[in-house]
Amino acid sequence: MSTAIRFVRRGISGFVLRRVLLGLLTLLLVSVIVFAATQALPSDPARAILGRTATPESLAALRKQLNLTGSIPGQYAHWLRGFVTGDFGNSLAARGEPVTQVLGKRLENSAFLVLIAGAVSIPLSILLGVLAARRRDGPFDHTSSVLMLALAALPEFVVGIALVVLFGTTVFHWLPAVSLIPPEDTPFQHLKALILPVATLVLAVSPYIARIMRASMVEVLESDFVEMARLKGMPERHVLWRHAVPNAVAPAIQVIALNLAYLAGGIVVVEFVFGYPGIGSALVDAVANRDLPVVQALAILIAGVYVALNLMADVATILVSPRLRTSLR
Amino acid sequence: MTEHLTRDELLRRAAAGGALIAASGALSDAALAGGRAAKPKKGGTFRIGVSGGSTKDFIDGQNIVTRPDQARIVTGWETLVNFSPQFKLVFTGLAEEISAKSADVWTIRVRPGIEFHNGKTLGADDVIYSLQRLVNPKLGLFGGAALKSLDPTRMKKVDKRTVRLFLKQKDVTILDALGQYIAGIVPVGYSPDAVGKANPNVGTGPYKVQSFTPGQQSTHVRNPNYWRSGQPYFDKVVIIDFPDDTARVNALLGGQIDAMTDVPPAQVAVVNGHSGTKVLESPSAAWTPICMRVDAPPFDDVRVRQAMRLIANRPQMVQQALAGHGHIGNDLYGIFDEVFAKDLPQRHQDIAKAKSLLKAAGHENLTVDLQSTNGALGMNEGAQVFAQQAKAAGVTVNAKILDSGAFYGDQYLKWPFSTDFWGSRNYLSQVAAGSLPTSPYNETHWPDTKDNKFLSLYKQALKTVDRKKRAAIEHEMQKMEYDKGGYIIWGFSTLLDGYATKVKGLKQGDKGVLPLNAFGHGYRTIWFG
Repeated sequence: MSTAIRFVRRGISGFVLRRVLLGLLTLLLVSVIVFAATQALPSDPARAILGRTATPESLAALRKQLNLTGSIPGQYAHWLRGFVTGDFGNSLAARGEPVTQVLGKRLENSAFLVLIAGAVSIPLSILLGVLAARRRDGPFDHTSSVLMLALAALPEFVVGIALVVLFGTTVFHWLPAVSLIPPEDTPFQHLKALILPVATLVLAVSPYIARIMRASMVEVLESDFVEMARLKGMPERHVLWRHAVPNAVAPAIQVIALNLAYLAGGIVVVEFVFGYPGIGSALVDAVANRDLPVVQALAILIAGVYVALNLMADVATILVSPRLRTSLR
Repeated sequence: MTEHLTRDELLRRAAAGGALIAASGALSDAALAGGRAAKPKKGGTFRIGVSGGSTKDFIDGQNIVTRPDQARIVTGWETLVNFSPQFKLVFTGLAEEISAKSADVWTIRVRPGIEFHNGKTLGADDVIYSLQRLVNPKLGLFGGAALKSLDPTRMKKVDKRTVRLFLKQKDVTILDALGQYIAGIVPVGYSPDAVGKANPNVGTGPYKVQSFTPGQQSTHVRNPNYWRSGQPYFDKVVIIDFPDDTARVNALLGGQIDAMTDVPPAQVAVVNGHSGTKVLESPSAAWTPICMRVDAPPFDDVRVRQAMRLIANRPQMVQQALAGHGHIGNDLYGIFDEVFAKDLPQRHQDIAKAKSLLKAAGHENLTVDLQSTNGALGMNEGAQVFAQQAKAAGVTVNAKILDSGAFYGDQYLKWPFSTDFWGSRNYLSQVAAGSLPTSPYNETHWPDTKDNKFLSLYKQALKTVDRKKRAAIEHEMQKMEYDKGGYIIWGFSTLLDGYATKVKGLKQGDKGVLPLNAFGHGYRTIWFG
């Protein structure tokens, strides 16, 4: 870890504190970069919002309504001041509605989608990895390896569209082809509409986790202590789940964290394909409209999820690896 | 019979004998429905998926920005006059009678007993308020651009239902402007910010706004006091935003929506081939021109403009850019207008002539950037096909596809060479919108400032009530644009929309301004069979 902030307390709590500070610095940098990037985009929000229907009169009227005045650093300072006091500002495209209100519902929807996808894909891929490693070079290992590699190579929208064609429109009519969730409902009331987007996300992230789990399991299963446990006459199930898996899961934790973080940002495509009302489609929309407060809020949020998940993964890795745990003392 | 009284007939009678009547009594939607045999059934929730849409969506009886805004405005707001399925002005709207003393004094009387959604009866004050609001520069409403001759200070209430307008100038196109779907009539004091609040967002239309989440969906419920008897048929209309083409088509095929706008040309066969869904094709006068600025090099030389027009292989452009769903253009707009100059010979690709024109102009091996964006189907596609065709004449066209924010940014209307899109309008209305120094969107900077002829012809046409004389003037104007104008108008697109076959009342081949027969004329001439 960084030597610059050595003065902070040692041990696991010091480690976490340092990482949190670094994370905050990362978020600040992200906000500056995103702000600069949106400024570099040609055109201004009033023009982007009105598009082809803009007339000099309507532009003037909208610019006045949106308060698009003031210097660029001034606008950033204003945003930052609001942000640290918990005020995300108002959406420009939604004519001054608070960002929290524009995004609130969508945030819930996206979080729900990611959590379900995570809850399904993590145990599933760990199980697949373990089974493949257990019967290494067996028929299951070979079939699953080929399938995983193929799925990992396919972009999500291809997988998503294939699922829609298969289950939603052309072959069978079993499941809704798009995830229409009325604004007044929660996704929980429309679980059937979630099946295809969740399946797409699961198919997108599971191969990576399963592959790393298999590799790490293979290594652990060949190690001395597993040999020892087997020689002691321990039942194989015991050896596998009590001894091998806890040791093999450490490298997988990093991959899981990365994939969960990827889900937070990468649902953009899946939300688009299924017309799912989440933050992904909101981000696409906000960029097109140069809706800076919404773009900033989402960029910070997604970056925050990345930082938090990486931190949690590091802490978890340290906690499950005795060698790392002791080195922090 | 009076339903099909046209603007021209009205004006002709005005010319013949002073103040006259130009109205229709009871209107029959049978005329609109045009021989639909089945008896409509009531009930059901109609769900429509609309392309585009964004958190910037709004519901305003007199303004739109996005496609879903168009789908929503027709649920609750109606105009004084309407365009028929043949794109003729008809007096089937809120006005019972419109008369003209001369082309600058117009009298409008609205039908009796029409109520707004909040129970207020429609009257003269509402018409005055609506027209004043449309042209209020502080609001910057889209519909105001076509009503430049309206004088907001000179509107007189004659009686409870009658208003007299004194225009700033004689203007025979005022009815066209009042017939635009964005010229909705709203009650006195109307403000759209009031959705869901104590003072609701109301109009006279067939459905009332029940709920609305910008960028997602809105729900509209039947107006029980609607003035056209028997209509509308649905209990509810749900309008859902679908920015993604694939998701929209999938929702229709999967039966989650009953209709959709804007089927991508590549998916037409899929929608038609699927059992229970069909594509509705409506020829339109909508166009996606390539625009050359007549005052910027190299296009300030008329020979370069003529050469570019001769480079276009129009049948190929329609075939490739619109997948064949359209018809070829002749560098002239307003094809639905009676005065459209059909007699001017169809322009064909002529590379040899284009080359010699360019040579004469000193622009052999010309290289130009063509700016475009995905504003409407045919813009980017047309730019790319044209760039290919230009190679044959030794011209290098770099088609630059920009994001819409950048395209419609500060450089919009200043690009020397760009694409754009326009809807269906009659000739003079379109001239006002895009081909005059005062037009809000004049991409080509036509006409040449050194030549006043076009402008004076336009002014003359505006006040010429006699139909034949005006047609002659409009023909002369079209000839000028045909010979020297800055537009390459290579084709007109056909509106392609999808619907479930259980939806009855839609008519193939109606001339389209808005998708799906103007959204089933405000979702009131369609029903579930």
